[in-house]
Amino acid sequence: METNENEIRLTVKKLFDEDKIDILIGYSPGTLPLRTSPVFLRKEDDVEVLVWNSFCENTLSNYLKNYKDKRVGIVAKGCDSRLINLLLLESQVKKENLVVIGVPCRGVIDRKKIDKITGGMEVTGSEEKEDGILIFFDGTDKKVTKADILHDSCMICNYKNAVSSDIFIGEKEKEEKVDPYNKIREMEENSTDERWNYFNKEIEKCIRCYACRNVCPMCYCQECFVDCTDPEWFGKTAEIKDTKMFHIVRAYHMAGRCVDCGACVKACPMDVDLRFLTKKIEKDVLEFFAYEAGVKDDEPPPFTTFKPEDPQEFIR
Amino acid sequence: MEDNKAEWEPKIVAFLCNWCSYAGADLAGVSRIQYPPNTRTIRVPCSGRVNPLFILKALQNGADGVLVSGCHPGDCHYLSGNYVARRKFAILKSLLKYIGIEEERVQFSWVSAAEGGKFAEVVNEVTKGVRRIGKATKLVKEIYNGN
Amino acid sequence: MYAIKEAVIAKEHSETPLDITIFNMDIRTYGKEFEKYYERAKQEHNIRFLRSKVYGIEEIDTTGNLNVKYANIAGEIKEEEFDIVVLSVGLKPESSAVSLAERIGISLNKYNFCETTPFYPVHTSKPGIYVCGAFQGPKDIPETVMEASSAAAHSSALLSSVRGSLVTDEKEYPKERVVIGEPPRIGVFICHCGINIGGVLDIASLKQFVKSLPNVVFTDDNLYTCSSDTQGIIKEMIDEHSINRVVVASCSPRTHEPLFQETIREAGLNPYLFEMVNIRDQCSWVHMDEPELATKKAKDLIDMAISKARLLVPLKMVSLTTTPVGLVIGGGIAGMVSALNLAQQGFEVNLLEKGMSLGGLAKKVYTTLNGEDVQQYVKDLTKSVTDHPLVNVYTRVKILESEGYIGNFTTKITSGSKKDIIEIKHGTVIIATGAEEYKPEEYFCKKSRNVTTLLDLESDIAKKSKRIANVKNVVMINCVGSRDEERPYCSRVCCSQSIKCALNLKTQNPEVNIYILYRDIRTYGFSEDYYRQAREEGIIFIQYEPENPPDVKMDKIQGKEVLTVQLKDPVLGQDFIIDADIVALAAGTIPLKTNKDLSQMFKVPLNGDGFFLEAHMKLRPVDFATDGVFVCGLAHNPKSISETIVQANAAASRASIILSKEIVELEGTVSIVNKNKCSGCGLCEAVCAFKAITIDPEENVAVINEALCKGCGACVASCRGGAIDLYGFSNKQIFSMLKTI
Repeated sequence: METNENEIRLTVKKLFDEDKIDILIGYSPGTLPLRTSPVFLRKEDDVEVLVWNSFCENTLSNYLKNYKDKRVGIVAKGCDSRLINLLLLESQVKKENLVVIGVPCRGVIDRKKIDKITGGMEVTGSEEKEDGILIFFDGTDKKVTKADILHDSCMICNYKNAVSSDIFIGEKEKEEKVDPYNKIREMEENSTDERWNYFNKEIEKCIRCYACRNVCPMCYCQECFVDCTDPEWFGKTAEIKDTKMFHIVRAYHMAGRCVDCGACVKACPMDVDLRFLTKKIEKDVLEFFAYEAGVKDDEPPPFTTFKPEDPQEFIR
Repeated sequence: MEDNKAEWEPKIVAFLCNWCSYAGADLAGVSRIQYPPNTRTIRVPCSGRVNPLFILKALQNGADGVLVSGCHPGDCHYLSGNYVARRKFAILKSLLKYIGIEEERVQFSWVSAAEGGKFAEVVNEVTKGVRRIGKATKLVKEIYNGN
Repeated sequence: MYAIKEAVIAKEHSETPLDITIFNMDIRTYGKEFEKYYERAKQEHNIRFLRSKVYGIEEIDTTGNLNVKYANIAGEIKEEEFDIVVLSVGLKPESSAVSLAERIGISLNKYNFCETTPFYPVHTSKPGIYVCGAFQGPKDIPETVMEASSAAAHSSALLSSVRGSLVTDEKEYPKERVVIGEPPRIGVFICHCGINIGGVLDIASLKQFVKSLPNVVFTDDNLYTCSSDTQGIIKEMIDEHSINRVVVASCSPRTHEPLFQETIREAGLNPYLFEMVNIRDQCSWVHMDEPELATKKAKDLIDMAISKARLLVPLKMVSLTTTPVGLVIGGGIAGMVSALNLAQQGFEVNLLEKGMSLGGLAKKVYTTLNGEDVQQYVKDLTKSVTDHPLVNVYTRVKILESEGYIGNFTTKITSGSKKDIIEIKHGTVIIATGAEEYKPEEYFCKKSRNVTTLLDLESDIAKKSKRIANVKNVVMINCVGSRDEERPYCSRVCCSQSIKCALNLKTQNPEVNIYILYRDIRTYGFSEDYYRQAREEGIIFIQYEPENPPDVKMDKIQGKEVLTVQLKDPVLGQDFIIDADIVALAAGTIPLKTNKDLSQMFKVPLNGDGFFLEAHMKLRPVDFATDGVFVCGLAHNPKSISETIVQANAAASRASIILSKEIVELEGTVSIVNKNKCSGCGLCEAVCAFKAITIDPEENVAVINEALCKGCGACVASCRGGAIDLYGFSNKQIFSMLKTI
């Protein structure tokens, strides 16, 4: 990863020197261990601040909407590159304004999982190793294997490399296809009551802060249905009946548009299992319409098209 | 009060496309085919006009069931409205089932202008299904006084 | 085809799984998209097709089942038991049609169908009398519809000088009252419909209920709300109570909404300030035994309608003046026939041809199946077209661009060697660009001079060319480049074409041996006569399956090219080797690659094969979803010259409906974009079947072309951001109806 980090810096420098971009969206070190922070570099800034490691959890493509008229370079892992494809398909970014610096990604760390390992103790430092992470806490250190602390999304990720990019950094990560829908299938097997109870239990936690929406690159509506007053699609209260509608519609609006980057669950302060809904939709879209969001930059999203033989067993 | 349950009559919102299903419903009338009086029709130009959010809103407002009916595939007056709609409905229907909403609550049908009998049969079946699962509560927001 | 359709439907609808066998001779799925249906029937629905001859059906005493006895393709006698046997029976003219023909003095053919000729397929033997539909010959719905329009086209041409002379003066409406800003003042009229509604529903209680609703300023019940005296009452009450929204609770809006809209328009209200409740067809008639619950339902329905009525707004109906000029693209038979008919109807027409001269593919066709001279017909037609003062012919045309919509198109072209851009303003477009013959890669067609396509062979025969002078053995192979994976459609005319060539060749040279290798012989309708004649004249037909196509070998013996054709004969079950002097390939008809450009330019779709896709495969065979644009001829699908002539006149007829009106009035129920809410994601543009939406590249927001919008609402329901709404069925109006639940 370190070699990649250097190459990213060199590449970015070259892009600025050759006046190919006005701004670069990448990662810089965070102020705390286990963290990084999105950074927005301009020509005059030092590219040495750029990092690339297992803590680069932010979905950078969400920031593209802030730079619509600028020439932007962006560091894109697999999920981000898929999101960029979707944003291109939905005309939210212009191809000619974009330089995608694709990177291979082995998944990012879920700090909540580390918290469990440290028993909630503050982590004072960390060191990334080839096969895991060394974390320092409570005066000691402990090596944890990455598989134990990866984000749930990353554990079932089938696109570890940027699916399309203008420049690809480093060597492609090997992609072994995994079945990402085991959990969903288990849930589907449950009884109606069990599923309803789980849905309730999760939605009850929601405080309607909309962090999930705000971090989502695909939530770019000028006015979200939930904020609209004319007509008032659904109530704006924190009453659970309205909250449920918010989550059902949010998930529905993600149909064919969610790449499971995990930004929403990372942002959720209440640990609502949002992927319980989005992953289900993702699975249905794949099974019904053979579509995987953002994998190709020219495949029409599922709601923009149809096939006469689309499934309709549910219709009388 | 105990009798209330026996007297409960489900209310089913029916979105019918103007060109096929609404005409099919008219034909059921012309043919005097009898069916349960539980549907409340909203005529729309095309099943493609039905935003899945309408279905959710109907459920939140206390509808015990929702039926959306359009033209058979290939027969859409607007060429492909029902095809476009079918994809949305497939996703919504599956999602609602997944979160634990009874499958009978939200149903879909293709009824042509010539299928008065089928329309009556669909309403029959949908009403029967909704009666079987009982009054809607899960997504209903206001306290609904049910009479 | 009919049998296949019934079989598929039976399978789909049966509660128990069905095994279906179709006993057949040749499968004749020659119609547009039929071949694919046939393939699906075999592969997806597992319908069994058995090439065979059934010679007997017997009832089995014990079970009542039927024992079908048949000979299979190898000539083996077999029997099989079935529950039900359905017979595919042919069509014959009705006896009343026959006696009608006698009375009006039109000739019938030997089968008692109305007699017509290939170049005049809807003309009877008596001038001024036209024929269409199955009385002309057995046919499917689209051909019937095309013939009907075609007959109308000829009638219109005869009557063009008196067009519109029986139309009474246009109606004038009072000036529309401005109601914006007024609170809703709703008038409700409840209809008894004699006893149809009043006999079931409690009208008094409905009336009582309606009176209690907000904004209702007037309620009335009428014995018949649709009667003319009630129209008078409605108008009076609108005046007296300053009603600005009208609700009628009666029958179906599908039949009566226009009447009431007209009434309120006469009273100075915009016709869209009207809402109708169906308390008859969908209430009193279907809940006769439950009057109380039916009355309750009626109350709810009226409540919903009044909720919507409060939010009704006046809509403007877009009126467009039209340019009464036609544009026809393509100067083959289809284009010329369309242009000529429009001109005969009195409209100016521009006929665009990309080549040097008119005639198209027909320039390579010499005779029709029954021997009529195609070259002479094309010559005469070309002369009629070029001589007609209303037809402007442009050759060597390049179409640069076209914009506009029904009634008002502008197309820019260049013609000839000149670079000057010609701008044509026109009200309609007819696409008649034709198709071309497939140039086979198969069977050494490009390598051997003795392997040829049927069109080239036809020319050889017509010109008595040397190549065919002393041939002894001619092999024709059908379905080359048709009905395969790449082109999964039937080219429709090749079977007749190979039989035509075979018969003509045989006439010239009675000694020649002709073998026609085929998959199914599709000489539909009266062409079957020639199939029979061909067999009688000793032309040998050998069937092959696509898995075992004929094998052609090309050798050189003493410097001379020798062709041998090898094929397994399914009847004899052994290989068959023919030394062929000529191998003629029935090459399929393929769509032009340039169809794509026209498709984008005029916003009309192509089907999977690359032919233009009409608005409705059965009922609107020359229309597109995009108004004002029509299609005919081979650009639509492979077809015979007669069928092309029919469709070309049909397209002209459809176009003339628009050209004959000075103004086209469009519905007010169209979509509208709120630019502030639009993110320009393009979902609406993608789902619009009418190409009415474009994304403005500057502002990145959707823009609706009201002239193209049909008001289906697919875009509205797709928009996540709520940026589009539909006049007449707005989100808010539907929500207000849902609120009453």
